[in-house]
Amino acid sequence: MSDTRRRCAYAALSVTLVAAIAVACSDMSSPERADVYEWRLITTSAVGSPGLDTLAFHWPRASLPVRIWVEDTLGLPDHLRAGIARWKRVFLYREFDAEVVSDSSAADVIVRGAAAPTGVIGPGTVPGPTAARHRIRLHSMLAPECQGATDLDISPDNTELVLPIRTYLEPRFATTDPGLPACLALTATHELGHAMGLFQHSPHPDDLMYADPGIEGPSDRDRETAERAYHLPPNLSPVTRR
Amino acid sequence: MRPLPFAVLMLAGLPAALPAQVDYFARAGVTWSRDLVTDRIINDISVGPGLAPTLALGAALPIAPRYHAAVEASLTTATLSASETGTPDADLGSLRTGAVMLGLDGPIVGRLRWRAGAGLITYWPADDSGIFARGGTTRFLAGAGADYRYPVARRWDLMASGRWDFHRFTTEELESRGFGSSQGIQRVGVTVGLARGLK
Repeated sequence: MSDTRRRCAYAALSVTLVAAIAVACSDMSSPERADVYEWRLITTSAVGSPGLDTLAFHWPRASLPVRIWVEDTLGLPDHLRAGIARWKRVFLYREFDAEVVSDSSAADVIVRGAAAPTGVIGPGTVPGPTAARHRIRLHSMLAPECQGATDLDISPDNTELVLPIRTYLEPRFATTDPGLPACLALTATHELGHAMGLFQHSPHPDDLMYADPGIEGPSDRDRETAERAYHLPPNLSPVTRR
Repeated sequence: MRPLPFAVLMLAGLPAALPAQVDYFARAGVTWSRDLVTDRIINDISVGPGLAPTLALGAALPIAPRYHAAVEASLTTATLSASETGTPDADLGSLRTGAVMLGLDGPIVGRLRWRAGAGLITYWPADDSGIFARGGTTRFLAGAGADYRYPVARRWDLMASGRWDFHRFTTEELESRGFGSSQGIQRVGVTVGLARGLK
């Protein structure tokens, strides 16, 4: 091989290698995830401060899997397990996980097949074992067959979410209503969304977190909202005061 | 062309060699890989495997006085983790890869030989979740490397190898979520083992 040909061959090889390295190094582009709704809890400011407070919460990785105790009625354990699977499926990086546990005293979330109790809702003092807190109720009560509610107990300084979160699911009328299982299934998944940290309802009827949801699982908008919720630093920490 | 039909065609193209003509080798070592996914959800997120224990098996057939056609299969297993600014790494479970490359090798100097080839790499996640929620993926692969062989017995050589390869990575799940293009992945492997063949 002549020197000229050898130089050409080396030049071609060099160009090919540089092109290959350039191709090998380029990154994929990530999606925008801009189609989200407000999920944070907007509530009265901490004691002594005027105005409103915006509270963001997600379960820290150290708390996973979230322990959920479910009353064994109306098929609720199966509905909750399906809801957990649906929400886990939303995340790419294992940001959320939960399991149904048998001991309610160790649960982070307690789900009962009953009406939400009446009592102090909103700013005020909720009797508790060690500390006062105010209770905020997130309702889901527009479906004809069933309704749900999730109660959050927030510390007076708006920095702590006192566990357990309590969720209530109940039929509106007879338990023989043929539409009841489907209603309980999607309402359980909806309430689990609240317990995950999506503290507000979506304004879009085609989202699971709409106040009267019509779909069984999270929509793309629910997914993007949950993803953002789990990557925004929270200002509300879960605490146990048992 | 889809990867699996391509693999069948490549294997069908291998000459039926007599066992005595074939050089065999087996090596073990580690492989480093670039991050498989780079994402941004408020913070930058990257997902990648750690250093992966590697097993490589192969065979080579002489096609000219100083050149061989070779097939090499490598298996790696690693822990996949997600890193995000300001948070501890998250364990995403184990991930295995299997790669098959067809190529050529030839002399460089002394006992040192070059090797280059192309083939396929398959990702086998431990469970179908996260970026692999719709299963693993198979991608085209190209690479090159060098082998050093030192005789230790009549028909046995100690073999030390370095490999570099690259491919484009994405999964059905990532594509369905709007991730554009694919990620360029480079891998670098170092292995040591034994080779047995004709002198």
